[in-house]
Amino acid sequence: MSSETGTGTGGSDRSAPGSSIHPESVRAVAKKDFQDSVRSWMFWGLSIFFFTLLVALTGVVSYFGEDLAAQDVTTEVLVVFVSEITRLVLPLIALILGWKAIAGERESGSIKILLSLPHSRKDVLLGKLIGRSAVLSLSLIVGFVLAAIIVAALLGSFDIVDYLGLLAMSILYGVAYTSIAVSLSSLTRSTTIAGAAMVGVFVLFYIVWNAITSALRLLMDRGTISGESYTVETNEGPVELERLPDWAFFIESIDPGYAYNNALSIVTGAAESDLDVQLEAVMFNGDIPFYLQDWFGFLILLFWIVVPIAVALYRFDQVDL
Amino acid sequence: MPAIAVDGLTKSYGQTLALDDLSFRVEEGEVFGFLGPNGAGKSTTINVLLDFVRPTAGQVEVLGFDAQTRSREIRSRTGVLPEGYQTYERLTARQHLEFAMESKGVEDDPERLLERVDLVDALDKKAGGYSKGMAQRLMLAMALVGEPELLILDEPSTGLDPNGAREMREIVRQENERGATVFFSSHIMEQVEAVCDRVGILRDGEMVAVDSVEGLRDSVSEGTTLRVTVDRIDDEVLQAVRSLPDVSNAAVEDEQPPTLVVQVEGSKTAVLGELENRGVEVHDFSTAKASLDDVFRSYTTEVQAR
Repeated sequence: MSSETGTGTGGSDRSAPGSSIHPESVRAVAKKDFQDSVRSWMFWGLSIFFFTLLVALTGVVSYFGEDLAAQDVTTEVLVVFVSEITRLVLPLIALILGWKAIAGERESGSIKILLSLPHSRKDVLLGKLIGRSAVLSLSLIVGFVLAAIIVAALLGSFDIVDYLGLLAMSILYGVAYTSIAVSLSSLTRSTTIAGAAMVGVFVLFYIVWNAITSALRLLMDRGTISGESYTVETNEGPVELERLPDWAFFIESIDPGYAYNNALSIVTGAAESDLDVQLEAVMFNGDIPFYLQDWFGFLILLFWIVVPIAVALYRFDQVDL
Repeated sequence: MPAIAVDGLTKSYGQTLALDDLSFRVEEGEVFGFLGPNGAGKSTTINVLLDFVRPTAGQVEVLGFDAQTRSREIRSRTGVLPEGYQTYERLTARQHLEFAMESKGVEDDPERLLERVDLVDALDKKAGGYSKGMAQRLMLAMALVGEPELLILDEPSTGLDPNGAREMREIVRQENERGATVFFSSHIMEQVEAVCDRVGILRDGEMVAVDSVEGLRDSVSEGTTLRVTVDRIDDEVLQAVRSLPDVSNAAVEDEQPPTLVVQVEGSKTAVLGELENRGVEVHDFSTAKASLDDVFRSYTTEVQAR
């Protein structure tokens, strides 16, 4: 997760006030956090939620999808349906699971118990991230595995690779938002501020990010910023169209939700429709920039896991509790 | 090597100066009472010892390790009962203790630990339902995990009834006999008086006195209070008593019956003798050693009184 793996015990790092990371400590904190952070009904509730989501959507697909079954794409369609919902729901769950992770312990004072024991602040942050991520990831796994039997039975054809790919990317996506939540939670002593920060994150990626693209398009139409023109071959001959400049697409690609969809198409052929891919190919004259390619979505997800927690690891070492 | 060495420790929160050039030492193997009224800076000092807060200036070493850079080593050898904590409501007492053992990498017996703090009945009950006193007992048990070299107890008798407070002092004594250094803070004199080898009194972020309990008693001028009931008092008698060399102060406490309160540092008989010489009949008298409470009050209220 972090590139820092200081061993701590022997080192006399008098100059650097930063703390070290002990894997044993991280494990102890993560285990404690997993036991304490969730009531058991919450864990099973999440598992049942994912299970129900998969089974219900499978039902829909199999009910309406005789054509799909004929084309052998039922699992792909299921992945698209499920990911449309998890794209919205996973951030909510992760933010709710994570918002109190550190701020709550600082506000109540229970962090004094953690830090009276020989854990560094970095151990505590990483342990919290792992503990909360485990809650989300394991409930996803339980839901997906239990549902697999029913999904396989209902769908005419069951593509295990697509299915596991969706699970894997959903875990990655959930961990990214957990990292954002835990990190923001470590920046404040007030759960009220932490809660506001979580709402802020949600608003940022669900409203502001979409608004940016719309706003840029508006500005482009008014000529404030210049777009890039491209030609589309139609039945009535070539038509000149304008698209947003490259950097606007880059901004769009940073959104974790966008990256989740993008990265899903590494593991399944489903998430991006063929139409989208063709459109992108036309817009960029067949030369699709790296940040719109599937692997970049995967990197962006990793970015959203690593960068927030790295900033928090640095910051949390500096403050008075 | 002292167990705790604090040199020129200053901590300010913005404009507020919480600790002002504080220096003191706690020797290995002693029980040190860290005394002061609420808000004097006791918890801030402990928070610096444990690296919860960073000093503005000064040097702090615990068990020979720098408190900022080697905090992990310090905390692996120290048992802490923090102040203003909250237990993990969904974990049982056993899970709390197992977490402490796992964190410190030591083996211990949760049942035996809880027996010592008289909480064994709650072994498998979740801490969410604990009273303040039970939580305090659990935290004390956590501090005892793995026989630490140093115990740092911040207001350990908070939430305990007198019986619990006595048990806590007994545990402090046992731990000290085992060889542990004990550093504990309190704003209640009698907690400290009973178990401490030495006492440091903190006021407004400054150490105003560090001494043994006896030494502190002796250091205040009102060493002994003599209370004399007589048949009559007049100004002349009062002046005569005041002018005696060993008397620091004398006052009329009561008129019916006339009672004289005299602060004496040396011979009490000189006072009684002087009264007899002046023809004053002594009906009754009693003496009282200055309690540590008086000492505490004299150190912590002196300035305001002046």
